Amino acid sequence: MTQKTNFFSISLVRGLGGFLAGTLVGIVLTVVVRVVMSLPAWDAQAAWVTGAIFGVAGFMLAIGVMGDWMRWAKGEETPEHPETNPNLRGWAKILSVSYDHKVIGVQYGITSLALFVLAGTYALLFRTELAQTGIQFLDPKNFNTSISLHGIVMIGATLLGVGAMSNYLVPLMIGANDMAFPRLNAFAFWINIPAAVLLTLPWFLGGFDTGWTGYPPLSFLAPLGMDMFFLGVYFVGLSSILGSLNIIATTIRMRAPGMNYFRMPIFVWTALATAIISLTATQLIGLSFQMVLFERVFGMAFFEPAQGGNPILFQHLFWFYSHPAVYVFVLTGLGVISELLPVFARKPLFGYRWVALSSFGIALVGFLVWAHHMFTSGMEPYLRVPFMYSTLLVAVPTGIKFFSWVGTIWEGKLSFETPMLFVLGAISIFLLGGLSGPPNGVVATDLHVQDTYWIVGHFHATLFGGFVFPFFAALYYWFPKVTGRMYNERLGKLHFWLMLPAFYVQSLGQMQTGLLGMRRRIVDYDPSLGIQTTQLLITIAGFVIAIAVLIAIINFITSARKGEVALANPWRSRSPEWQLPSPVPAHNYEETFEVVGEPYDYGLGDKGYVNLHPGMAMPSAAD
Amino acid sequence: MTLPDKGKPQRVLIASSHPLFGQGLRKLLESRRGTVEVVGMASSIDEAMQSLAALNPDLIIVDYDDEQLNRDEFLARFVEGERKLRVVLLSLSDAQQALVYDRRTMAASRIDDWLEDWKIANMEETPVEPEIPSGPTRPNRRSSMKHFIVAGILVVLMTALIIFGAGQIRLLPEAASVQAQPIDQMFTLEFLVIAFLFSLIVVFLLYSIFVFRRKKGDLTDARHIEGNPRLEIVWTVIPLIIVLGFAFMGSQALAETQRVDPDALVVDVVGSQWSWRFDYPELGISSTELRLPVNKQVLLRLSSMDVIHSFWVPEFRVKQDALPGGKEFVRPLRVTPTTVGEYKLRCAELCGLNHYSMEAPVIVMAAVDYEAWVAEEAGLSADPAERGQKWYETYGCRACHSIDGSPLVGPTWKGLYGIERKFTDGSTAIADDAYLTESIRIPGAKVVDGFQDLMPAAIAASMTDQQVQDVIEFIKSLK
Repeated sequence: MTQKTNFFSISLVRGLGGFLAGTLVGIVLTVVVRVVMSLPAWDAQAAWVTGAIFGVAGFMLAIGVMGDWMRWAKGEETPEHPETNPNLRGWAKILSVSYDHKVIGVQYGITSLALFVLAGTYALLFRTELAQTGIQFLDPKNFNTSISLHGIVMIGATLLGVGAMSNYLVPLMIGANDMAFPRLNAFAFWINIPAAVLLTLPWFLGGFDTGWTGYPPLSFLAPLGMDMFFLGVYFVGLSSILGSLNIIATTIRMRAPGMNYFRMPIFVWTALATAIISLTATQLIGLSFQMVLFERVFGMAFFEPAQGGNPILFQHLFWFYSHPAVYVFVLTGLGVISELLPVFARKPLFGYRWVALSSFGIALVGFLVWAHHMFTSGMEPYLRVPFMYSTLLVAVPTGIKFFSWVGTIWEGKLSFETPMLFVLGAISIFLLGGLSGPPNGVVATDLHVQDTYWIVGHFHATLFGGFVFPFFAALYYWFPKVTGRMYNERLGKLHFWLMLPAFYVQSLGQMQTGLLGMRRRIVDYDPSLGIQTTQLLITIAGFVIAIAVLIAIINFITSARKGEVALANPWRSRSPEWQLPSPVPAHNYEETFEVVGEPYDYGLGDKGYVNLHPGMAMPSAAD
Repeated sequence: MTLPDKGKPQRVLIASSHPLFGQGLRKLLESRRGTVEVVGMASSIDEAMQSLAALNPDLIIVDYDDEQLNRDEFLARFVEGERKLRVVLLSLSDAQQALVYDRRTMAASRIDDWLEDWKIANMEETPVEPEIPSGPTRPNRRSSMKHFIVAGILVVLMTALIIFGAGQIRLLPEAASVQAQPIDQMFTLEFLVIAFLFSLIVVFLLYSIFVFRRKKGDLTDARHIEGNPRLEIVWTVIPLIIVLGFAFMGSQALAETQRVDPDALVVDVVGSQWSWRFDYPELGISSTELRLPVNKQVLLRLSSMDVIHSFWVPEFRVKQDALPGGKEFVRPLRVTPTTVGEYKLRCAELCGLNHYSMEAPVIVMAAVDYEAWVAEEAGLSADPAERGQKWYETYGCRACHSIDGSPLVGPTWKGLYGIERKFTDGSTAIADDAYLTESIRIPGAKVVDGFQDLMPAAIAASMTDQQVQDVIEFIKSLK
């Protein structure tokens, strides 16, 4: 029986329709209730906040991810392995609901790249303004909105990229045929779309001027765009929580027999540590934003000193999530580095157990350092000292990873295909970012660098080294597995050789100008600082990075359609997913695989790591 | 890629269900080589197995794109079989060239290159067997040590280079406060460690990239080294010690920046969207410029009228947020400027629209010039009685105490000094310095008979001892 396919079969179309309908319902409801309560009918804030919430609900209902749950609620049966409409191909398929973790992984990946481009465009906007002193074209209001949205949309892009990698790879790497909760998986993906829409509404509703950190009292006073920002982040946070729940359940419960924890691919360790952080900490940003939203909408006063509140409380609540969050951003990227180096060096991952446990070390210590973002906030002065100790301590498990990476490639046999280039670049950049940390962690020097471009340089380097470069490495590396085709190697290398030097220029420029007095979040800076040339260089670097990313996206799109047909295992990796055909069949493994060796025993000449057809003899390495 | 019998035509079996594939391939091979003989074409796995046995080919070419041919099953059968066969998977992608995938090496080559290699291999005396790995050659201990030493030397060189390079560029603004000294010392230490650690990892990385490369065509793996627990412990413990040491030194530096001078000049700094105001309570001055005497510690009491701002002068290094909320949220920052000059205060916490331009001049002056400014600005004279009169007005004493003899809410000050006072509880005292000081500091201690206990204690709380003394001198002058 063929299902008809038309424009409205595409889930996204229905979802957006539901979003519009929901928003309208919310707005109308608000007006009606206000009239009934003898209040003035139109209050922009009440209408838009209610409209936005109803809009998100409308989207999720219309898109169809909740269909099976609603059937269960009515006592109906649903198929064990739901099949999506087979007539949906290509883009129509990507834009529609699927419960297959691989499709969802691709959806996360594409959305991540789209948000990355959007946030990058915001950056190019204000970087063009900042190239020279004086205000050229971007007025302070729009500048403040664009830096705020740059921050939060990039964070969204990062979370989605992490979700893409974890979702696609974890079940394949542990021998599962899907996640523990496929429908929840789809739900957790799709809620990001209306959330992203909410994050574009500030442009039309007065903007907001607080940066993505949203500190009150400024955020209490901000225009209507602030509420859309709070709500958007709230729903992205919900996605994180639900997604990480799935990863944890899947990893704990669905590993193939013989795959004990210390026999899992290292990426799964980082995905698990990431998920644990994400599951437990995300609530705090939802809470702190919700509290400010309630201040704004219901007149509450948690953080307003005039009414007995305390603004520093917000910062504690906010950073209690937002520091662990940075480890959510980078841990899986570090896992990609650990995963790829052995393959391209033909040598085992050095100290696998130590590397595996270091992820948990980072996660644990990461919960104990949040107030290092608040050293100048007016918090208890003596409390800054223990936070300094805990902050510097994070260097120890992180160092273990670096030394292990060096140990892996030392005396290896290296080849330099695009994924390996990105991994090596990532290591050097994450190193730069990490080493620029101690001046921030030591309170005395933080007094100088806090709120300057040194900090901006620090976190961009850690984010590029811990997420952006490894994400591209992962995209290139697993591209043949996902699409069955090979990307263009020349374009991949071009992307790398443009992006790496440009990024070094950007980072070092940001760090230097920060030390010399360039503050964060300012649309114009004093010529007497003598940094105009460096600012221009940073802007140019930004544009070079943008071009490089564009090249990558073009490469991905054209190669997916017309690239060379790829072999099942072009990298000669031992990992389980590489023993499957490309693209991976719908239900992954026909039979449960058998773990017959260690994941990284390159050079041992054994029978490999997993046997996909237990019962048949394994091809020995000598064949 | 070699074949066992050189010189004789190589016998090839083609496996594909598309006859055109086979025909085309046969033409291609035979036109190019002349030493190839296509001995059979199989269109199913069973046919291929039969042909194998019957024809005994040297090479089988499998159509990789043929969906009817279950290639996984095909390969599994061949692998399981006793004959070790060379199997080549051929794919015709949309691109112009045909690609050949060697199943064993998993490498793709263009068909021309593949045929070249075949030819070269055929012409050699002894065939080279590119094998997939089992123990690769072991580099010996001596060369391991050699690599390590060379890399180590390069680390030292690179560290020195970075330190030298960093010294050539502007990194920090001139230090202009006492508090900047311990901070800059920490910065120096941090930069040294950063230079060393960056060099350490990057040199080892680059060394590996240049020295431990895979040779073209080498398909063997590297040495099987899983780890080294002793090394792991070393590179966990040493960083731990370094980190703890750093933190300890950091706390010392922080303490240094917070040294209290009890005689510090007090300035209240009030930030509001988007300007700064500086109040000198002891001098009765309110200014939009922060003027400071050099080499004297100033205690800045920071506050905000609206949202969070932050006080920062880069040359002073130290920074502190200014919070709204009144007294409970006032935060102190101590700075001792060391260099006369003009600096800029710029707000360092995003505070809305004009955060970028929320600036104020900071002018550090020689003591003499500062005194001159104070005198001019505040109209402050050197005569304590005159100053006392100014406080009489600034602090609101005038509201309740006259100086012409008439009683107001409080007793007049005219002729007050030295007389005997009677209090509501019946006791008496001479109005001397001690009594007057007490009356100002603790208003309710003795209430003059005929008056009520109405004087607010808050007034005195903002007055310094010097100011109280000045008021007393003023009172003395009112005979």
